[in-house]
Amino acid sequence: MIRNSTWAPSRPERAFRIGVGEAGLLPIMVSLLIAVLVIFEPRFATVQNAINILRNASFLMIVAVGQMLVMIVGGLDMSIGATMALTSVASVLVMTAVAGALPDAPNLAILTGIAAGLGCGLAVGVINGLCVALMRVPPFMVTLGMASVVGGVALMLTSGVPVYGLPQPFIDEVGRALWLGLPTAFYVALAIVVGLALGLRFTRPGVRTLAVGGNRQAAAVSGVPTGVYLLGAYVACSLLAAVASLLLTAQIGSGQGAIGDQLTLESIAAAVIAGVSLRGGAGRPELVALGAIFLLVLTNAMDLMQVDSKIQSIWLGAFVVLAVVLEALGRGVSRRG
Amino acid sequence: MISTLLVPALIVVMLLGFSLYVPRILFPRNLMNLIVQTSYLAVFATAQTLVLVTRGFDLSLGASVSMVSVIAALVMVTVAGGVGEPVVYAVVLGVIAALAAGALVGLFNGAVSAGFAVNPFIITLGSLNICYGIASTISGGRPVFNVPTVFSSVFYDGRVLNIPAPILIAGGACLGAHLLLDRTVLGRSLYLIGGNPRAAAVAGIPVKRRLVFAYVLASTLSALGSLLLTARTGSGEPALGGNLLLQSIAAAVIGGVSLRGGVGTVRHAILGALFITILSNGMNLSRVGGYVQEIALGVCVVIAVFLDVLLSRQRRAG
Amino acid sequence: MLPNMASALHAGPTVSSEPLPLLELRGVTKRFLGVQALDKVDFDLRPGEVHALFGENGAGKSTIINIICGTFPADEGRYCFAGHEIVFRDARQARTMGVSPVFQDFSLIPELTVEQNLFLGREVVRGGLLDRRTMRTRASKIIADLGFELDPKAKVETLSRSHQQMVEITKALLTDLKVLVLDEPTASLTEAETRRLFELVSQLRASGVGIIYVSHRMAEIRRLADRITVLRDGRRIATVKADEVDDNELVQLMTGRPVGVLYPVICHRPAAATLEVRDLSLRNGAVREAAVTAHAGEITGIAGLVGCGKSELVRAIYGLEAIHRGEIRLDGALFHRPTPGAALKRGVCYFPSDRVAEGLALDRPIRENASMAALDLPTFSRAGFLRRASERRTVQALMERLNLRPVQIEPPVGRLSGGNRQKVVLARGIPRDTRIFLFDEPTVGIDVGAKVEVYEVMQHLLAEGMAIVLVSSDLAEVLALSNRLYVMHRARVVAELTGADINEATVLSHFFPGEAPPSGNAQPEAAQ
Repeated sequence: MIRNSTWAPSRPERAFRIGVGEAGLLPIMVSLLIAVLVIFEPRFATVQNAINILRNASFLMIVAVGQMLVMIVGGLDMSIGATMALTSVASVLVMTAVAGALPDAPNLAILTGIAAGLGCGLAVGVINGLCVALMRVPPFMVTLGMASVVGGVALMLTSGVPVYGLPQPFIDEVGRALWLGLPTAFYVALAIVVGLALGLRFTRPGVRTLAVGGNRQAAAVSGVPTGVYLLGAYVACSLLAAVASLLLTAQIGSGQGAIGDQLTLESIAAAVIAGVSLRGGAGRPELVALGAIFLLVLTNAMDLMQVDSKIQSIWLGAFVVLAVVLEALGRGVSRRG
Repeated sequence: MISTLLVPALIVVMLLGFSLYVPRILFPRNLMNLIVQTSYLAVFATAQTLVLVTRGFDLSLGASVSMVSVIAALVMVTVAGGVGEPVVYAVVLGVIAALAAGALVGLFNGAVSAGFAVNPFIITLGSLNICYGIASTISGGRPVFNVPTVFSSVFYDGRVLNIPAPILIAGGACLGAHLLLDRTVLGRSLYLIGGNPRAAAVAGIPVKRRLVFAYVLASTLSALGSLLLTARTGSGEPALGGNLLLQSIAAAVIGGVSLRGGVGTVRHAILGALFITILSNGMNLSRVGGYVQEIALGVCVVIAVFLDVLLSRQRRAG
Repeated sequence: MLPNMASALHAGPTVSSEPLPLLELRGVTKRFLGVQALDKVDFDLRPGEVHALFGENGAGKSTIINIICGTFPADEGRYCFAGHEIVFRDARQARTMGVSPVFQDFSLIPELTVEQNLFLGREVVRGGLLDRRTMRTRASKIIADLGFELDPKAKVETLSRSHQQMVEITKALLTDLKVLVLDEPTASLTEAETRRLFELVSQLRASGVGIIYVSHRMAEIRRLADRITVLRDGRRIATVKADEVDDNELVQLMTGRPVGVLYPVICHRPAAATLEVRDLSLRNGAVREAAVTAHAGEITGIAGLVGCGKSELVRAIYGLEAIHRGEIRLDGALFHRPTPGAALKRGVCYFPSDRVAEGLALDRPIRENASMAALDLPTFSRAGFLRRASERRTVQALMERLNLRPVQIEPPVGRLSGGNRQKVVLARGIPRDTRIFLFDEPTVGIDVGAKVEVYEVMQHLLAEGMAIVLVSSDLAEVLALSNRLYVMHRARVVAELTGADINEATVLSHFFPGEAPPSGNAQPEAAQ
């Protein structure tokens, strides 16, 4: 808790805080980046490119807000990538099996496959959540362990090879369809981000989730069933990962055992860039979405400049470090006031 | 106390259990193999312990191992091939380059996380990516072959008094780390920092400097481990790090190092490494599939973490 | 009017004869892993009564109020609440039934606003969404009723500690309050805020709420309490009416030992000036153009209201605060860019006010905590290697000298009581060649017995010719101990007093410069 502040912040510090405001540096950074790219890279400012960015960003947005939920309650989910892999593989296997058994009901196959995929997300989320809520184990470690377990299961199911046999309607309608020029994934992501943004701010579960993250004991004593909310955050995160995986699988057209490898780190990066604190208690879904877009714009820029994807990893890593350092410096400034 | 006996007991139980199914696990040749394998993991677990004790994390372990392997191999290959100097020269340079690279990673990790007061978790996550990127880029995604054979013959096949070199080198490194943690002012200050960083600062301990040192030492130690592994494969491997991150943390935590900081010794790390290695060896001999082994490792981590929580509670209350 | 006040427009006499007690504990016993925290304790609270709990650290006060508030149940004994025997499932149930604590660490969510905190767990919902307007209105109303100055939209983490406490109290009052437990509530309140709190306590009494008041400060207990229960070593020693017992008797009951005078007579022998601070200003403005001088052989006190900057002043000398301008001289030599390490080497030692946050690594052994600040000394290390046997011997001797009971140096320091922990912190300064000791609120949160021992340590140090700077918010303490007293007000040093000037009236006049000093029950608007 902050001590008595009887001294007012100096003028430059106040100006910094007002200028940066509650949203932090992110909107400024995104605008700057886009502006620079528009000026210097003509291929960037095309409609097709923008759609690509939005499509790829959609997947990241969905998992990143899921990660944000877990970070709000003071944890971290390292098993997102593995959950996505399992979902992808399981859903395709189920769809293929059902489609094979009942070739006249492709929709049934699709639905059962989706159910199976979401079921995977649910299962992983429940296990993570129970471990953290009941046993109070450090979330990072537990989810890291689960990542190994779940990832191993996914690889086992596929022996490392992509699973084909996705019903075509699934690919066409969900994966590769365009509504008003934008992919399905984008609308799903939009709905999720808006829904969460409103939910956190205007509903009772929203404020209670923030409370649980801010001070679990205080929330418990005030009558909030903290275990339920912790569990809920992890379940929501894994479910969102499953949703993203289903959309991505539909787009790719086959079940992938290694889908989402990078996405775990990227989801953390997007959340951290958006100012979500690792300590919990605060998080703005709209900013996290912006963070995802920022990362994708950056990736896109590097692709256009034909930077090798392996080198992109280096930039991503350097970037996350820079973002966190800047946030710490910014905190230091406002703390001195 | 429960915790000091638990892990050795589990190890014995595990060995005996496996021996019922695959008796050759207890054959001298396999036991020697086991000890050699443990040496590698012990080095990495010790490196991770140095950092865990200060309430930190080194997530870059693994990726840095890959990067160091590739760098060492490239240096050795380049110097040996080009210059016409004795090959030993190339090997020495390679070793120096490897340790220097490791130290640099540690310097980055420590300086940024301590200097800006940022959670080392995120910083080492970033350096994980950077190391991975560097490793893939400079190796082109493929192993670096033609490493001078004298490298492997010294660091892998070499024997002194019939003890394999890896055991000697790893043992020496771990012993050094143990002496540091247990007997020096520096080591003591690491425990105090892990116990309460602010109190340590108020007591005059130069916290940031010591943290940087811990990370540099940890990364240099894991660079040493990387050299040992590279000597085993005989080539620079961009995927050498593989599962090492998870294994090093699992080994440390199973052995008894606390994730909360301030508690844990090299002995714990070595015990944990032994546990994981026996488990892995037993599963290999029982022909358990690679993916299942990965699952088993994950389960071990989860169980280890549970135990850590229970023991922490006992420690505080008792 | 408080929401749950009966329409008692006239605050009449608080307690009628033999009313039904609000709560009653009979023969309550509690053990923690072999340690007997409470041993067949009886306690009861009547409506409209302020019942104080008095005792040393480790006496059982925390345990008893935790049982009362439902944090955990007793092992043996009966707990009757409002006439019915009850075992609370958890603290939450206790709150719903009307028992609310205000502990020293608050149960607030820092990242949420005041109104969000007030309504946490009982949010007003309309059509599935939060009804923020209704909650805002209700929050504003109750805050106004209580006379607090709180902005419902402010995030709790931006509030000062005393404002946070107000939020905590408001939250307690939102329930159908029957019993309020206050645990050291005035620890970081200013004089004005303390007065406000006492008024609130009176109002609550008048409306029939029972108040359990835990405090070390005898003056407050005197002023507020109807009855005082003294605990020692987990046992109830006595329950007395406040006006039937005097200070010395209370202390004697609490410690079990006759205590002569609370504050020892200090023999000051002022010698050369060893510490000189000139024109010191900190970057965050907590201290402006301060000048103090401390001499060897005397205690230099610094007094002032909470937030005046006195702690920051000594912290800056030790290197824990960023200095903007000014100079510090030790024995005449300039001390440039202080850091804790450099300060220790130059013979300056600082004892932090917050022992847990800044003084001790709770999981590490006592031995390591005691030697923490002196590891570079030859008695503890040689050429970077620890001399563990020597360390054991030295720390053992040290802790014996400081009267650590029991004298064990291996258990983790977290198991010790506040007073004993302070001894471990004090042990730090002794092995070193320290000549200047900076004490920052050294007796906060420790019992009278341990306080006396701290004062004895100070006496020894003075006898050896050391210089002591004592920062304290306890006016009585700093008046009794100082030979030279500085008063700070809003970041500036406003007075330097010696000799006969060191008295309550003069000091208080400097606390409120430009105003008439407060007297008796008059309520001037306080500076903050």
